[in-house]
Parts: sequence; structure tokens; C-alpha cells
Amino acid sequence: MISLVGFANLLFSFLIGLIIFFSYFFNNKNKISRTYYNLVFFKFFFIIVSFLTLIYAYVVSDFSNQNVFENSHSDKPILYKITGTWGNHEGSMLLWLLIMSSYTLFFTFNKNLKDNIKKLTITFQTSLFLLFAVFVILTSNPFLINSINFEEGMGLNPILQDPALAVHPPILYIGYVGFSLILSLALAGLTFKQIDYEWMNTAKKLTLFCWSMLTGGIALGSYWAYYELGWGGWWFWDPVENVSLMPWIAGLALVHSLMITKKEKLLIRWIVFLSILCFSLSIFGTFLVRSGILTSVHSFATDSARGIFILIIFLVSTGFSFILFIFKTDDSEEKLKLLFINKSTALVFNNIVMIIACLTILLGTIYPIVIEVITNKRISVGAPYFNSTALPILLPGFLLMSIAPALSWQNNKLPKYKSYIFVFIALSLLSFIIVYLNTFNVWGFIGISLGLIIIFSSLLSVYFNYKKFGLRNFISHNNALLAHIGVGILILGITTSSVYKSEFSETFMINEKKQINNYSYTLLKLETNQDSNFQELVAVFSLYKDNKKIAEIKPSKRYYNVSKMITTEAGIYHSWFQDFYVIIGNEKDKIWSVKIYQNPLVSLIWIGVIIMVLSGFLGIRKV
Amino acid sequence: MKKIVLIIPFILTLIISSFLLFYLLQNKDPKKPPSALLNEDVPKIKIPDLFDEKKFLTNIEFNDKLILVNFFASWCAPCKVEHPLFFKIKKDHPNLFIIGVDYKDPKNDALDYLKKDGNPYDFVGYDKQGLIGLEFGVFGLPETFLINKKGKIIYKHLGPLDKKIIENDIYPLLN
Repeated sequence: MISLVGFANLLFSFLIGLIIFFSYFFNNKNKISRTYYNLVFFKFFFIIVSFLTLIYAYVVSDFSNQNVFENSHSDKPILYKITGTWGNHEGSMLLWLLIMSSYTLFFTFNKNLKDNIKKLTITFQTSLFLLFAVFVILTSNPFLINSINFEEGMGLNPILQDPALAVHPPILYIGYVGFSLILSLALAGLTFKQIDYEWMNTAKKLTLFCWSMLTGGIALGSYWAYYELGWGGWWFWDPVENVSLMPWIAGLALVHSLMITKKEKLLIRWIVFLSILCFSLSIFGTFLVRSGILTSVHSFATDSARGIFILIIFLVSTGFSFILFIFKTDDSEEKLKLLFINKSTALVFNNIVMIIACLTILLGTIYPIVIEVITNKRISVGAPYFNSTALPILLPGFLLMSIAPALSWQNNKLPKYKSYIFVFIALSLLSFIIVYLNTFNVWGFIGISLGLIIIFSSLLSVYFNYKKFGLRNFISHNNALLAHIGVGILILGITTSSVYKSEFSETFMINEKKQINNYSYTLLKLETNQDSNFQELVAVFSLYKDNKKIAEIKPSKRYYNVSKMITTEAGIYHSWFQDFYVIIGNEKDKIWSVKIYQNPLVSLIWIGVIIMVLSGFLGIRKV
Repeated sequence: MKKIVLIIPFILTLIISSFLLFYLLQNKDPKKPPSALLNEDVPKIKIPDLFDEKKFLTNIEFNDKLILVNFFASWCAPCKVEHPLFFKIKKDHPNLFIIGVDYKDPKNDALDYLKKDGNPYDFVGYDKQGLIGLEFGVFGLPETFLINKKGKIIYKHLGPLDKKIIENDIYPLLN
């Protein structure tokens, strides 16, 4: 019954979408009536009711709904019943529709854009909504009803029962799906050839918002992988990670391009191209993951009909956009003011670097498919490829980043360039010494010096800005620098935690003490806990430094009764300078095998990301 | 000249899409989870007979036979869907020994199910607690394994079989 209500609401929303879409062709294209806004609202209203209905079905464990039956269980904690709604393919696609509609609704509140642009943007956005709605209704309906009555559901995959992962999909989708509005906006601007200051302003706010959410979403997923998968790492170049990284990089290039055009109304063509690219890559990523073409950590129930459908959506939306791009693009010849080293040059350079990095990742991700089509063999492209291609490509961009915000728009001069050169030389030397005193590693040296140079030259610029402008508009003068400091911190974290990570495989008996890498570990005891939903075996370790106890670490194994799965939960002690990461393995004759990682400065990764996201949000306020 | 540059993204989109479409239409089954057991020996098992739990089927009987093992249950809807196909397989390949393993099912339900929908299996095993499923690494029902004459698992399919899968993936392995 409840499923029927949900499905009916989904259909209503779809129908209103159709009305909105067709009304564009029969009404005044330059005026938006009250009724039109109401229709947008009702489209949103019905889809949110539909989504809430699905949540309700999960909360009351209505196993007559096939989606609930397949992905939930009555013994699950209420939080995971709710989040289970979007923990599967069908539910997450409904969330996708909801977010798409929410963006359209919020967009109607925009007061700066002209009505014609607004109306066409809403029309494009609605047509995207319709494409995805047809997809959900035909191939991924979350409201299908079971023909047989079930008393109990099959349960949610235990590794998904986790707070970070509960919020990861919505945040990620707010980023991904938001790019659809940027695409619609770009297409509308392109059609009317009205890409003006207001357009830029709206696009910039929107891009900053989506990009920040996407960053947060990716980071949450990565943090989850770090403590849940028990592999001691946080980034695996898994296809699904690559797929999220591509629109992220394109979005980043877009954010930066929009910065240029605030000062010089150029590069519009490029901005439109990037706007199309961002959402196209989002759909493309969705296709790769949901069609199951690539196997990855995210295993959705897949079938090729879905794959073909998303491919059609991709082809229709991207193809249409690029055709419009060919015919509507302004041919006006205005030369960019590119000097040897001014801000525009730096930004153009930055864009080139990012697009090359993006293409490199794209190539690595789809290469296995290409090879399989041609030679019928399945290969996998892994971390070594990405580490040895994407990273070197990004390096010059990182280096430039340390001074780019301080460059001038108009001339070739970097004010107080001597101080920057001093920072550069001093910190390079310093990092060389640091790395030399530890184990020397080229990547370690490059990463640490880059990170430090970016942080300190940005701080230097903040200081100069302060001297020049005082505290007046402090944030708007320094926000870009703040973001770059975040990146510097991130680079430091990435470098140290991957280059200087140490990994030990040990065995422990109860009360046995072992000295590992300047610290000692004792396995104190093993406890068992009973939770509503799993049984847990917890190993309690004490961590000592110079015979002084500094922490207890509790790795565990959980057995989930419903799905009959055993999961490994890492025990992590975050200290200021490193993470102590312990995983418990199997037992044989009362001897436990244990894996221990010491990950130096890994927290810097999350701190860096938080700063970047924060700066993204501050940027929205600023413009 | 400028227009040509603008056309590139569109062309790239077309190329990539057609490549992917071609891939999808080749009907490679991407969800094939590479089973840890693939190309391994059949696990050592002893399966009780559903109709008479005192009788057992053991690995010895696996020798020199091509065997299809299908895990099913009366409560599993997709199993019902694929069920009739086993009659077809039996008809097309009478020499194939088809084992059905009833997985975590009340016995009477299973017997009713086979009575109602028919019994295409040469042997029906009863895996009351899911232990045999555990040995085979069963993910979810239905799941089907093909074992060659040397007792090695050469194929595994997760989810209901359909005509296409049988004809494209299973029959070639039988010949």
C-alpha cells in the first residue's frame, strides 16, 4: 500500500515535470508566471513525499516492498534503517531525483538572473529530471512489490552500517547532481548568448557550493575506507574513486576559470565547456558504476539494461550540450591578456594541468574496457599507473599554486618576489634536511617541500594582504589563500602517510608485549560484545612509549547475524603526529595474527580537506 | 578552424559512447564475481538427501561427471523464475548431472515446492543450516556452479539463470 503511494507520487512528479517542460514551448519565453513557480514547487513536493514514503517503508520494515526486503532487516538500528534507503541502487537514484528537484526549486529564488535565462535553465533542468525519472520508473523502481510475503528482510551489507557512510551518498550527490544545474545554466546562457556578470556570479556560487560538497563527500568516503576496509590506506585508485575524482577536477578547473572572468570577460567558451564537462563526467561516472562495467568497492546490483539506459542519458544530454556548444558559441575574437607571469597566465596554466590530469585518469579508468573489447582479456589498471602519471602532471600546478594568488592581473610583477624566493629556497633546504635525516625518498622530498612551500608562501601573502588592507574584507582578500593552505596541508598529509607509512605483521598471545618501531604493544584481553545486530570480538591492546601507557586500541571483528558476514573493524589511535592502526586477524592455537600500521601525519589529510571545504563555503558568501 | 576545435568534444563523446555501447551489447557479464573457488577443486562435502536425510551424496560421486550445482530455496522468488529452465537443460543435455541444494529452508516447504513446480534435479540435497553453501561461498540465492569431470569448478553464476546465459555461457562449456 505504502509503496503504491510512493510510486504514485513519483509519477505525479514526473507528470508535472512534463508539463513544465512542454509549457516552455507554448508560453511567453521571457516571463515567468506565478503558476510556473508553483509547478516547480509541486514537482519538488511530490518527489519529496515519494522519497519520505520510501524512508517510511524502511523504518517500519515493510517487506512487501522488494527494495526494503532486499536491503533491510527488522533488527537493524533505526539510523541504518533510514540510511539504508539510499544505500542501494534504486533508493539512491530516487535521492538523485529529489536532489535534482531541490536544486530547481532553490534556483527559482534567484533574483539576479533575467527571466528568460531562468526559464530556459529550469526547462533544461527539468528535461534532465525527466530523463532520470524515466530511468528510475522503468529500470530502477524502488517501489516494486513482492509477490510473496516475507517476514524478514535480507539485511543491509554490514560494511555500509556506518555513520560516515550514512551521510556520504547524500553529500556526494548534492555535489554531483548540482553540476546538472550548472550545465542547464550554461546551456541557457549559451542559447541566449547572455553570459554576463550576473550569470558568472550565479555560476560561481553554485560551482563553489557543489564542488565543496563533492569534496566533503569524497573525503567522507575516503575516511570510511580508511577505518572500515582495514587496508591501512585511504585512497586506492578504485574505479569508483577515479570516477568521483574526474568531475571534482573539472569542477575545480571551473571554479578557477570563473575567477578569471570576474576580472576579464573572456574565456566564456571555456567556461561553458567545463560546465558541460562537469555534469557529463558525473553521469559518465554513474554509468561506469551502475552498469557494473567496472568492478569496484561499490557493488550495486547491476544489469546491462540499466547500463544502456544511463548510456543513453549520457549520450542525449552530453551530445545535445556539445552540439549546442558548436552552434551557439560566440566567435568573437578577444585575446586573453597573457603575460609571462600574471594571474591569467597562471589560471590558464592551472586549467590545462587539471584537464590533462582529468584525461589521464579517464584513460586509466576506461583502458581495461577498451582492452577487453579489443583483445577479450580483462586487465586492471591500478595505483602504479595513476601514481606515475597523474601525480607528475599535477606537480607544476601545485608549484604555481604557491604564488598564483599573489600575482597581478595587469602586469608581470610579483610584488615582494624576493620574500617568495627566500621561502622557496629555505623550505626546500629544510625539507631536504628533514627527508635526509629520515629515509631519503624523492617523492618524500618533493611532497614535503611542496606542501611547506605552498603553506608558507600563502601565509606570507596573507601577511602582505594584512599589511596592505588591514582587517577590512579580510576573508575576501585571503579566502583563496586559505584554500591553498588547505591543499598544502593535504599534500603534506598525503606524502608523509604514504611514503613514511610503516606496516608490520605480528602475532600476539594474551599478555604478550612486543616492541614495534619505538613503541610497544600488549594484547591485554579479548572481549565479546553482543549488539542487537551483531556479535563482536574485541581485542584490547595497550600502546606504550618508553614503558608509559599512552593509549588503548581496540580492533575488532564483527559477525552480523542477518547477512552472515564477518567484518573487520580497525582500531585506531589518533595521536598528533601519527595514527596507530591495528587490525586483528585469525587465531591459531591461541596465537592471534595482528597487522599494525603506523601512519604519520595522516590526520593532516582530513584537516586539509576541512579547510578546503570551509574556504569553498566562505567563497560563496564572499561573492 | 575555430569550429573544428568546438566539434572535438562532441566527437569524443560519440566515440566513447559507441565503445561502451559495443561493450554492453557484447553482453559480457560484468557482475561475475570472480569466485575464489573458480578453477579450484570442489570443496569436500557430504550432502544429505532432501527426501531421505539418512542418504548422502559425497565427492566420490562427483568423479567423471559433468555436474551442475544449483542452490535454491522455496522462499526465494528468483529461484522460482529460473526453475523451469533446469528442465530445458536436462532435455538438451541428458548426460549432465544436476544437483539442487535446498538452502536454509523448512523441509516441508521445500518438498511442497518441488511437488508443485516439478523436480528437474538428479539429486536434491538439503542444506538446512547453510553449511554446504558456506563451503561453496554462496553469496545469495540462486547461485549455480558448473563442475567439470576432474572435479574442478569451472563456472559460477550469481542470480537467476536465463536462456541467454544458458546458451551463451553454460552450453559452450558442456561441449
